[in-house]
Amino acid sequence: MVHGEEQWTSGAGMAKMSRRTFLSRATTTMVGGIGALMGIPTVAYLVSPAKARGGLGVDRLPLGPISKFPVGEPTLFKAAIERKTGWVTQTEELAFYVFTEDGRNFSAMSNICTHLGCRVRWITDDEQFFCPCHSATFNKNGTVASGPPPRALDQFELLVEDEQLFVVGKVEA
Amino acid sequence: MIEKIDLWFEERMGWRPIWKALALRNIPKVTWAYTLGSATLLVMVNQILTGILLTIYYVPSPQDAYNSVSFITNEITAGWLIRGLHHWGASAMVILAGLHMIRVVVHGAYKFPREVTWFTGLGLLAVTMAFGFTGYLLPWDQKAYWATTVGTRMLEVVPVIGPWLLRFARGGEELSAVTLTRFYGMHIWVLPALLMLLIGIHMFLVVRIGISAPPKASETEEEGPELEVEA
Repeated sequence: MVHGEEQWTSGAGMAKMSRRTFLSRATTTMVGGIGALMGIPTVAYLVSPAKARGGLGVDRLPLGPISKFPVGEPTLFKAAIERKTGWVTQTEELAFYVFTEDGRNFSAMSNICTHLGCRVRWITDDEQFFCPCHSATFNKNGTVASGPPPRALDQFELLVEDEQLFVVGKVEA
Repeated sequence: MIEKIDLWFEERMGWRPIWKALALRNIPKVTWAYTLGSATLLVMVNQILTGILLTIYYVPSPQDAYNSVSFITNEITAGWLIRGLHHWGASAMVILAGLHMIRVVVHGAYKFPREVTWFTGLGLLAVTMAFGFTGYLLPWDQKAYWATTVGTRMLEVVPVIGPWLLRFARGGEELSAVTLTRFYGMHIWVLPALLMLLIGIHMFLVVRIGISAPPKASETEEEGPELEVEA
């Protein structure tokens, strides 16, 4: 800072401030103000799509008549849903492992590994779900048998109506 | 505290002379008209920042261009603001550059030793116009499509190479996906590179040579014909 320049006082109690210091501080304040004014919308603009959450996108997803589900072995069933991401609407396939012991009571599990999202598949010979990414295994009911997954496979809520099976939503852990 | 941090960096980087040369340089006593160049520079920074943000969502394809722009404007938080700043900033930049140029002409500030500053300034104006022309197509709406149809069609009247120029600009006989992507590539890579090069030279010369003082009335009396003003 250059000293010995013209000094000015504003009001009784204010300290003396050089013209240069005043202008320098005023400029810094204004630049900071514009920066904040622009910075906040910029952050909002960038994080905006993070609001979008997945989900079924429909109230109930039909999987078909209950008679077609094999008894005693988890079986993969797929259902297509329309999903809009950004400005693109596309058909996505959701897959569920449906399991029933008696043909009356059903459970449905996600085929997405709870570790890092790879797709698990049922290995009939081992009586286990197997994830190819890190060799994790899950039991018939979805609980972790071995490997890094932190929790059991996600369960879905089901509804049987007129002998038809519907997925109605995710069971929140 | 701030002074301590400043000193810490100064001891290691020694950038104070650069700061002094840029921000604390001496200038002649000037008017507000001398801020037009800085104003143009500020809008340019705005264009760069908002332009970068727009590329986060924009897709330069006939299927997606219009929809992605509409998505930015209507669905992304503050998207209308970012796009609006880029849209209006484009016009503001052309106007401010034009006014800056008028000031330089009126004050004769383009004369020796500032000819190179003037030439790069002319280049910058051309680049700014090219930015405006290529950017106008990107929303891919009716106005953009036909404005570019008309704008590129003008190239055809150039003698001998006109028809070739037209096909070069459009990337074919007609406007197509190829036109859109080449305009986009020009707009976000080629022109910014040219802009940086020219603005670098332009700003270096402004700092190196210093800006010209406003012409004095006495100079006109000595060197030029006397002006009689009738009341």
